[in-house]
Amino acid sequence: MERGMDASGGSTEASRQIRVRFTTKLPSPLRLPTTSLAVPSNLSRMGLSEIVNHLLKNMDSEYQFQPFDFLVDGELIRMPLEQFLLAKGISAEKVLEMEYIKAVAPRKEEDPCLHDDWVSAVDGSNTSFILTGCYDGLARIWKGGAVCTHILEGHGGAITSASVINRKGVESENSLYVATGSKDRSLRLWKFDAAEHVEHPLRIRAYKILQEHTSSVQSISSAPSGDMVCSGSWDCSIKLWEVKASEAEGDAVAIKKRKLRSDAAEHEESQLEGTATSTLVGHAQCVSSVVWPELQTIYSASWDHSIRQWDVQTGNETWNMVCGKALNCLDVGGESSALVVAGGSDPVLRIWDPRKPGTLAPVFQFSSHSSWITACKWHTRSWFHLLSASYDGKLMLWDLRTAWPLATIDSHKDKVLCADWWKSDSVISGGADSKLFICSGIQI
Amino acid sequence: MPATMAKSRAAFKKKADHVEQEGPEEPSENGFVRESGDQEEESERSDVVGSSEDEGSSGEGEIDGEDDEEIHQSAEESDSSEDEVAPRNTIGEVPLEWYKDEEHIGYDITGKKIRKQARKDKIDSFLAGVDDSKNWRKIYDEYNDEEVELTKEEIRIIRRLLKGRTPHAEVDPYAPYVDWFDWEDKGHPLSNAPEPKRRFIPSKWEQKKVVQYVRAIRKGLIKFDKPKEEPRFYLLWGDDSSVAENKRHGLSYIPAPKPKLAGHEESYNPSIEYIPTQEEINSYQLMYEEDRPKFIPRRYESLRNVPAYENALKEGFDRCLDLYLCPRTRKKRINIDPESLKPKLPSKKDLKPYPLRCYLEYRGHSGPVNSISIEVSGQWIASGSTDGTVRLWEVETGRCLRVWDVGEAVQHLAWNPLPELPILAVSAGHKVHLLNTGLGDAEEKMRIKELLHVEEVLTDDAGNSVSAVSWIKHEKHDGITLEHLKTVSTVEWHRKGDYFTTIMPSGDSRAVSIHQLSKKHTANPIKKLRAPAVSAVFHPTRPFFFVSTKKNVRVYDLSKNKLIKKLEPGLREVSSIAIHPGGDNVIVGSKEGKMCWFDMDLSSQPYKRLPAHPKDMTNVAFHRSYPLFASCSDDCTAYVFHGMVYSDLNQNPLIVPLEILRGHTSSNGRGVLDCKFHPRQPWLFTAGADSVIKLYCH
Repeated sequence: MERGMDASGGSTEASRQIRVRFTTKLPSPLRLPTTSLAVPSNLSRMGLSEIVNHLLKNMDSEYQFQPFDFLVDGELIRMPLEQFLLAKGISAEKVLEMEYIKAVAPRKEEDPCLHDDWVSAVDGSNTSFILTGCYDGLARIWKGGAVCTHILEGHGGAITSASVINRKGVESENSLYVATGSKDRSLRLWKFDAAEHVEHPLRIRAYKILQEHTSSVQSISSAPSGDMVCSGSWDCSIKLWEVKASEAEGDAVAIKKRKLRSDAAEHEESQLEGTATSTLVGHAQCVSSVVWPELQTIYSASWDHSIRQWDVQTGNETWNMVCGKALNCLDVGGESSALVVAGGSDPVLRIWDPRKPGTLAPVFQFSSHSSWITACKWHTRSWFHLLSASYDGKLMLWDLRTAWPLATIDSHKDKVLCADWWKSDSVISGGADSKLFICSGIQI
Repeated sequence: MPATMAKSRAAFKKKADHVEQEGPEEPSENGFVRESGDQEEESERSDVVGSSEDEGSSGEGEIDGEDDEEIHQSAEESDSSEDEVAPRNTIGEVPLEWYKDEEHIGYDITGKKIRKQARKDKIDSFLAGVDDSKNWRKIYDEYNDEEVELTKEEIRIIRRLLKGRTPHAEVDPYAPYVDWFDWEDKGHPLSNAPEPKRRFIPSKWEQKKVVQYVRAIRKGLIKFDKPKEEPRFYLLWGDDSSVAENKRHGLSYIPAPKPKLAGHEESYNPSIEYIPTQEEINSYQLMYEEDRPKFIPRRYESLRNVPAYENALKEGFDRCLDLYLCPRTRKKRINIDPESLKPKLPSKKDLKPYPLRCYLEYRGHSGPVNSISIEVSGQWIASGSTDGTVRLWEVETGRCLRVWDVGEAVQHLAWNPLPELPILAVSAGHKVHLLNTGLGDAEEKMRIKELLHVEEVLTDDAGNSVSAVSWIKHEKHDGITLEHLKTVSTVEWHRKGDYFTTIMPSGDSRAVSIHQLSKKHTANPIKKLRAPAVSAVFHPTRPFFFVSTKKNVRVYDLSKNKLIKKLEPGLREVSSIAIHPGGDNVIVGSKEGKMCWFDMDLSSQPYKRLPAHPKDMTNVAFHRSYPLFASCSDDCTAYVFHGMVYSDLNQNPLIVPLEILRGHTSSNGRGVLDCKFHPRQPWLFTAGADSVIKLYCH
């Protein structure tokens, strides 16, 4: 008798039910009727996802299973439902409104693009190709993320940063502009025709060389208008450069033969030298990252532990924040393109809101990495999603609505040095294993 | 007459008693208000008043008791007065009954008995009384045993007294009032004279006296006892014994501790849970004697089986010993928390940032990394290893940029401190190489090339002048090689980047040499060193030069070329030395794992000795800007300390151990061989015998 009582009590404990109503903003084939269901309270995301999938399957027999993520009060569920409610202080008595979204995770991993040396820079801002910079001093264009069509040669040192310049005026496919920064203290601007079809990778040389930095260039970023480039360097300064191949400006000086070892100087084209239009001085140490999100503002992160905001027109510092760690990477995006994310010499990815007055405390902190963070990028369209890469060889996808990473990509065997979004559904990353990995199928 | 008066009074007392019983008591007062004053006088006066009122009344004896007594008193007083003749009898005032059955009534002044007179019988005396007309005036004086005949005068006085009048008739109680305070212009009862001025003016004399006292008080000549403060609260139900104890001096009473009440476990047959198991009993043996339980419960079937108390004899003996040998002093035990004896150190949180965790490793060497050096900007790090290579790394990514094969095990290397001269000085075997790293821009590279160009003539010159060092062009890499006679252990640059020093430990008088890069010149300024030199460092700001030998550290002034100070660490064997960027503090590491902090302003003895590592200390390092210093040792650890040097000369440096950094593995009994701080970040690089360089970040 007693035993029976016990058993029944235990079973009620195990099968505590919570009434849940699933809602969604997804299009109609993925929509569920808005009736409330009772689900066991010990379910976590997996179980909920399974329930939703089964319900959808019942409605449509041809439906393919796919993972879902669940939002309650703007927070992703990452633990058993019961625990989640307890932690958030939500009553289990009421009907729980639960929004389901497609789970963000890479579904496909494409073949890595092999390089000769460490891949130190990657840019995926153009949907048709990927630009990579390498430690062998060459930048490469990978068309469609698979074939190397162009090799940009000329740098005497490792390329640290590469950026595609999206010129508004010139929309044509044939003339694309690219900027690279290198440890040989120079920036180079390249112009190439992405449309032309070639059997072998075409070797092209820069049309403009920008040499004013006295130490290695660490990071470059192009203006949204596409006619300016800014660069941060180890000489603690940020310099702004004109992109235009302006023969008219008159500083077209044919460059002397460079270096002893530049044997390939036979086919000497006319290469221009440019001078910086302005210099932003203020950082005390290496400027490790620059971002130019709006026409008039530049953000920069430095090893002197500060993030600064600069006004392009006046060249003055408008905002400045000290975070206590040497910073390696910086990006601006998120909610109304105002949140600043930065990572540096510790495993914590921090997000600040510069609009919040009087506080230097980060609004979000993500600390799942185990080593330095080398790259962080906001998703171009989503307010919530971002990406980080670290020396521990992992890439992590983050959602601001939960403290746990959405997905961890550990295809790299060594340090990840650079990462970016590509075509808004792929993550591209280059690392010290000389490979460029592309993980696609991320539905955001 | 007075004598007779006295007698008569005494006799009269008797008579008055009789009289009193006869007459009714009459109030002698007639509204006369009695005032306090002399009683006798009063009574007399009242007598007088009474007599004056009841004049002529026939009653003989209306005397109230009170008056009688007063008379009696006055009689007594008169006895003692001088003018009275002492009575014949000398027995004093004793009850006469005592002599009732005697033949004498007392003793005269000479001590002879006074015999009683033969008593007449009543009839005779009566008859005699009838015959004698004066009989009524006779009174028998019992005291003197005689008959006294009162005179008419005396009778009269008695009568007056009985009536309450004055004894003598000539006294007039109602004499007219003489107003003595009577004068002519009397308007007020007393003087009408105005108040004299002195009554209003404070007295000068008093003032002087007060000032005198005040001064005395101020000077402390007069001291007041502080009013004793009564304890406001006291234990109403307090233990008296404790009060007594407090007040007692000398040997104090120590109340015996109250014995614990016996519990169940002390029963002869306690429940089973009180009985300790054998394991527990065994565990008691491991405890200290003091901590062991005094009583171990045991079970007995019945009270009959309980044995005699086994310790009875011993305890009795102990008790006797206690009483006999008891120290008559109270044993004072000091209870000090050992934690409180630790010095107060600031918390580690407040001392952030400091290196904490290893995030980056620089792998590539195939042998123990003997030495590392970080470029001034903090972008590059160079390392030298026993595998005969020098490697150049990028700090940020851990990428090896360049490898020079030197051919011999690299002992030590150092970057030129000038950012525009990225030259590496590498000591390997007998040679010191100056390597051009090629990191600068084109202009700088040219300058360095010029600087590192050695003409062959110069080497010949050096050879001729029997110098210990010859400058030769390096064949493989563009640079200079300095050939020494003996093995070079250390290379250090001067802050201006032109001079550098090398140490040959077995070089005797040429152990320390200073080289000038621009002139390609070598000098041996220091000839005498008692012990083999270990290391040499330039002062960061002044023209001083520190040479550490195995025993001590010598400080030379290079501009005057003389020894100015000798630091005595008192260590067995000095292994390394580092100078605070301020220049006034030096740390010295030793082979025995101890570190000494010298404050140059204080003394030549160490300000602090830090016993840190269990094994050989291989290197010590200061941070250039953060208040940090570190030591590394063959026990595979590096210790990080907070070493704050204050600009205030009165404040001693604050040294706080912060962190022990582990991670290196031991190889051939050697651990961490070198440690250096990043010049700008609070990061520490360590080079290990496991051929790995690690970067510890905050």
